[in-house]
Amino acid sequence: MRFRRSIGSAAKAAVLLATLTAAHAFDESKYPGWRGPWQQLAGSQNSAWDPSKPAGAGQQAPLTPEYRAIYEASLKNEAVGGLETDPTRRCVPAGVPRVMMAVLPMEVVITPVATYFMLEEFSTLRRVYTDGRKFPADIEPSYTGTSIGQWQDTTGSGRYDTLLIETRGIKGPHTYDASGIPFHKDGEAVVTEKVYADKANPDILHDEITTTDHALTRPWTVMRSYSRGGQQVMLDWSEYLCTEDVSRVQVGDQIYKLSPDGLLMPVRKGQKAPDLKYFK
Amino acid sequence: MLDRTFVGAMLLTAALCASPGTAQAFDDGTYPDWKGQWMRIGDARWDVSKPLGLGQEAPFTPEYQAKFEASLADQAAGGQGLNLMSRCFPPGMPRMMLGYNQFEFLIFPDVTYIVQEHFGELRRIYTDDRPWPQNVKSTFAGYSIGRWVDADDSGRYHALRIETRDIGGPRTFDHTGLPLHEDGQTIVKEYIHPDRDDPQVLSNEITTIDHALTRPWTVTRSYRLQSNAAWFEHPCESAYNQHLFIGGENYFLSADGRLMPAHKNQPAPDLRYFDQPR
Repeated sequence: MRFRRSIGSAAKAAVLLATLTAAHAFDESKYPGWRGPWQQLAGSQNSAWDPSKPAGAGQQAPLTPEYRAIYEASLKNEAVGGLETDPTRRCVPAGVPRVMMAVLPMEVVITPVATYFMLEEFSTLRRVYTDGRKFPADIEPSYTGTSIGQWQDTTGSGRYDTLLIETRGIKGPHTYDASGIPFHKDGEAVVTEKVYADKANPDILHDEITTTDHALTRPWTVMRSYSRGGQQVMLDWSEYLCTEDVSRVQVGDQIYKLSPDGLLMPVRKGQKAPDLKYFK
Repeated sequence: MLDRTFVGAMLLTAALCASPGTAQAFDDGTYPDWKGQWMRIGDARWDVSKPLGLGQEAPFTPEYQAKFEASLADQAAGGQGLNLMSRCFPPGMPRMMLGYNQFEFLIFPDVTYIVQEHFGELRRIYTDDRPWPQNVKSTFAGYSIGRWVDADDSGRYHALRIETRDIGGPRTFDHTGLPLHEDGQTIVKEYIHPDRDDPQVLSNEITTIDHALTRPWTVTRSYRLQSNAAWFEHPCESAYNQHLFIGGENYFLSADGRLMPAHKNQPAPDLRYFDQPR
């Protein structure tokens, strides 16, 4: 009885689906199935922005002489307990483009007007508008920037397979990776991306990321890739809570440690205590 | 009311019609049109029908009433009490459904996302008839399973029932510090539906079952659809970066980057670990 009822239901469902599909459907079949979950491809799990090169100086970041000097000075300063080069250690969000390293899982949700990159790291949401809008004249800076995208059907199959993205209005402080390779302080970086699935393996997604910034002598392009390992559904998403792991605090331009009893401690010998002039 | 067998068969039929490696077509006309930006109606106290603080008349056990009153006293003295948002702990469930900042719904057959700008909080409400999983790590947002409702047999869903479990972390109902139990056994049930009189308003009847309470506590929160919506991120870093917690005390950071008291006569932080001039 249950089997006959299921058959009847399926038949009724097919008719209704066809009718309603004609009237109202969001035609998801025009778009690639990129839901995820994605995580940075195995083998590229170093912390460097360009996974094809060694970290730090090995990145050969095309910094201008001015910003190379700034970078090297900040590394020296950090080594003696000064302000850290990597703002994420102070729970400043990684931002774009760094968050696209996807060191924690990422989901890609596609709608007709926007594609959402939902990244566990720093609970980051990127909203990439694909509704044909232009960049506004005044962009409110944000860590993820303002992103406008355009779908492409590069094979003429009638289905989109590539998403081109441009992002502007990225707020600082931010760096390319944990080593602290800096962006220009003018906040005028532009990041363009080409996102597409691997032609041989739909469970691998590529993001060709090009950064144009006044701290660079030329645009800097890296390829980040992600795998979902054949897994279409993740049952157990986590949360990223920076606040639960903060043992260092910033007061002015100085970094201090917090002792197990929550008191301020110096990070280097001879570091002065913070100025308490506002206390009686 | 739509039969669950029929709905399941419809979804299965849609799945079989799809080609592998591409997204599947689905009839979004079956689901309510909740697209757009939603903002809360009313202020950020938990039950907007009652005064703030003790006026909420939260049905606490004596133990948790005492915790709440201690939190109020600490806040009156310049502290944060049990409110940990200033330390960038997310509000979590159910507090995140106050709607501190704008949010939106993304509706798909198998899942509905509630995407919040506040702290970038995200809820996934699974509507694919999955069973409750075992051994899921608890999170501030919890694990949510939902079911669409077509109460008038119109063939179109108009409301969403949600149950959320596996909610963890120190949470309160609102900024006054109305506490939830530390045992992580909270269950939250919601019924989100359009307001009868105003199609631009959604109502959410939120019932919290928690061992800090003597009975389930139900409040109704409402949200209004915004026109000319613009989205802005609200990471904790930008909202609360002027607070610093040292030795159990909350201090402020001045505009010139120095420590300041958060309340009158607050003692300066203990600097015992620094070499002090004699």
